[in-house]
Amino acid sequence: MEGARTRPIWAFLTGPYAVFLLFLLLVPFANVAMYSIHPYSPTKVFLPELTLDNYRKIFDLYYVRLFGRTLRLGLITTAVCVVLGYPLAYFLARAMPRVQALCLFLLIMPLMVSAVIRVFGWIVILGRKGLVNQALVALGLEPVKLLYSETAVVIGLVNIFLPFMVLPIMASIERIPPSLEEAAQNLGANWYQMFRRTILPLSLPGLISGCLLVYSLSISAFVTPALMGNARERMAGQQIYDEVLVSFNWPVASSLALTLVLLTVGLMFCALFATRHASRRETAP
Amino acid sequence: MPRSVELEVCELTKRYSPQVSVGPISFEVYEGEFFSLLGPSGCGKTTTLRCIAGFEGLSQGSIKLHGERLDDKPPHRRDVGLVFQNYALFPHLTVFDNIAFGLRLRRLAKSAIADRVGRVLQLVDLAEMAARFPAQLSGGQQQRVAIARSLVLEPRILMFDEPLSNLDFKLRIQMREELRNLQRRLGKTSIYVTHDQTEALALSDRIAVLSHGRIEQIGTPGEIYERPATAFVAEFIGSSNMLRARIVGDVDSAKIVVTEAGLRLCCRAESNDMLDDGADVSVLLRPERVHIETPGGAAVPGQNRVAARIADVTYLGEDLHLSLDLVSGDLLRASLKNANSTRTWTPAQAVEIVIDAADIRLLRR
Amino acid sequence: MSARAPRLLLPFVVAAYIGLLAPLVVVVAVSFGPSAAFEFPPRGLTLHWFEAFFASKAFVTAFFRVSLLVGLLSAALATVLGTSAALGLVRFRFFGREAVETFFLAPLLVPEILLGAALYLFYARLAIQASIWTLLWGHLVICTPYVIRSVTAGLVGQDPRLEEAAMSLGATRVQAFFKVTLPLLRSSLLSGAIFAFIISFSDINLALFLSGPESTSLPVHIFSQIQWQGDPTIAAASSLQIVIIGMLILVVQRIFRLRFVV
Repeated sequence: MEGARTRPIWAFLTGPYAVFLLFLLLVPFANVAMYSIHPYSPTKVFLPELTLDNYRKIFDLYYVRLFGRTLRLGLITTAVCVVLGYPLAYFLARAMPRVQALCLFLLIMPLMVSAVIRVFGWIVILGRKGLVNQALVALGLEPVKLLYSETAVVIGLVNIFLPFMVLPIMASIERIPPSLEEAAQNLGANWYQMFRRTILPLSLPGLISGCLLVYSLSISAFVTPALMGNARERMAGQQIYDEVLVSFNWPVASSLALTLVLLTVGLMFCALFATRHASRRETAP
Repeated sequence: MPRSVELEVCELTKRYSPQVSVGPISFEVYEGEFFSLLGPSGCGKTTTLRCIAGFEGLSQGSIKLHGERLDDKPPHRRDVGLVFQNYALFPHLTVFDNIAFGLRLRRLAKSAIADRVGRVLQLVDLAEMAARFPAQLSGGQQQRVAIARSLVLEPRILMFDEPLSNLDFKLRIQMREELRNLQRRLGKTSIYVTHDQTEALALSDRIAVLSHGRIEQIGTPGEIYERPATAFVAEFIGSSNMLRARIVGDVDSAKIVVTEAGLRLCCRAESNDMLDDGADVSVLLRPERVHIETPGGAAVPGQNRVAARIADVTYLGEDLHLSLDLVSGDLLRASLKNANSTRTWTPAQAVEIVIDAADIRLLRR
Repeated sequence: MSARAPRLLLPFVVAAYIGLLAPLVVVVAVSFGPSAAFEFPPRGLTLHWFEAFFASKAFVTAFFRVSLLVGLLSAALATVLGTSAALGLVRFRFFGREAVETFFLAPLLVPEILLGAALYLFYARLAIQASIWTLLWGHLVICTPYVIRSVTAGLVGQDPRLEEAAMSLGATRVQAFFKVTLPLLRSSLLSGAIFAFIISFSDINLALFLSGPESTSLPVHIFSQIQWQGDPTIAAASSLQIVIIGMLILVVQRIFRLRFVV
């Protein structure tokens, strides 16, 4: 590895991308921050005075309800993902290599396909003339309105973000040697006791990481609530989209966006920290 | 007084695939004895251990612990302790909590747990380490915690899966002695799995030598070493010279054999009686039983004397290994202690080999 | 499985996977069905909607002229940018290296919808019209980190002494890089590039803000069609995307691992 040389080659290598990010990440967000402290004007984009009104607006009832709903739905989504995702993660972590490869593929492939397509699929399934209702009608029952509600949004979000819960937990459990499970059983623990006292505490970092990841992704989601929810019970992402592209109230959009960004980036950092901390702690013999 | 049988393994068979299987294996372990399963990797010793512990199911056969069927119980209900190869200590628990793990599952009172854990910590000499985490301990200390963790539950038998293989050489010798002293002190029936024959010989009351999923021989260390039942055992335990020969007659309860190269030897080892004239045999001779003398010595009845030339001398400090070309054309290896600094052996030197008839063992081929 | 897990686990896993894959299966099935009413299971098999897809100028433009083009360009540029950045990070030590590494991976931490909004406002401020290029720059921000992660993993796994061995045999540093390091990085580069393509091709959140009349990407077009109650041509477009992405992921899984996605 190189130390200091006459020509800092590392600067040439990392420079281009650094400059690129500077102009296409930092500057745009600095711009957003700037918008957020100027007042709104319907004629010009913003007025030159400085103000904190855009942030004070967040405490209006409408926005409080908006954020409350967003955070609440995020929490519900995360909780459901834990319940569904943890057993899945354990299965994947302990599966035979070929089974694991197939199941990983089936887990990750939907992730890479655009969210729109998956939501479209759910619309076909849950719509008024969709799968579920067709089945109900065939059984002689009344069709149920499943779409355009908070429930539908949670279903969609769980479906899309579940892999983000499964993968960190799976990685965590994989680091636990199977001999620990066998040792616990040899000492008298049945499967549940072994799980509770051995696997659960040692997989906690992965679980925390997954929760933070899913939570921050859920509260900043747009496509799923936009297509599967309704305009009255919207989430923060929808509001921001609206303010930017429909109302053109960029200052308020900026303050909302910035608040959301700080929240999610903060959470993601914690998740990153948790995983780094975990891999240092688990130097088991 | 006959000892009671603690563990009885009867026709244990584990089939992994039509080509790969272990068994049938049968053996008994007596109360209080140190019993080793010895063999190269892949011989089935670990599989047997895991079957007894309950982590593998039997395709056929049975296992009985103190007369009761063991193999139909799930692993967490078997009264056998297992010390894993990598110790499998719980990294998120202290030494104390690791050892108390099994006791807490049985819902013992806090004071009882503290008492028993304290005593077993004293036993393995780790009382000051109770609050430490496994990552903070040395390899030898971790191993002692692993043993303590199983011991504290007072199982009927204690099993070890190659526990010393992760330690470096000097530490291994030290831990080996500690292990033997501990077992002798407690009198706990122990089953020990290893591929290291020195370990098995040093620690065991009896050894079962395995190869390719079958038992080759069961016996005390002395029996296994002095009277190997098969060529595999002879070659796996210690080293051995092996010559192909045929029995041509017997004189005074000793067999006379002739090797393929034409060398005549007189053999008197006990269990040779089963073999008849004309039988094809392998002649087994331990290198340390090949004595070297300068030519011109007197022949003694019961001794074989053969002229030879030294082909090569390997100097190992404590030992000397010699390769010898016999006058008949056979090659033998001899191992001497470097006991005398004045006597030297050099290549191409002419010598006489003296072999006691009782030291030659014959195996049917 | 090593320990005897409870019997309920396998049926649970199967059910979970059915739930996960149901929407995709339904979409593909509907795309082959004759009815315009999104019927499942479809009553017959037909390629009608695929014909409609290729007949629709909007869809074809979105697919080929925008999504595919931007995807390929993103993959290529992200690979160059990302590989060079990864090299600088892994093979050199300099002050603040860990901070720079975190900075480079920062786009992964930012919610895409907010990045899209920020970029939109930024472009508007500079009076830049939406075009394929504005979309491309946006995609590069989110794609390059994947290349960096992939190449970093590949570089870290390589023995740095291989380059030293080449130099002891007479190669310059540059030669050693091109003859030894780069060929060994082949699989990392390929999987990074493929990931970059996939991320760009299936991106919806950035594209919603950055698409223009001439540069509407496929996911955005599907989005608007869903809102305007389109017909199963949407399903056909979706099926095509599923197949393409599925095959690409298979390739990545063969040549590399899938773990580093998260």
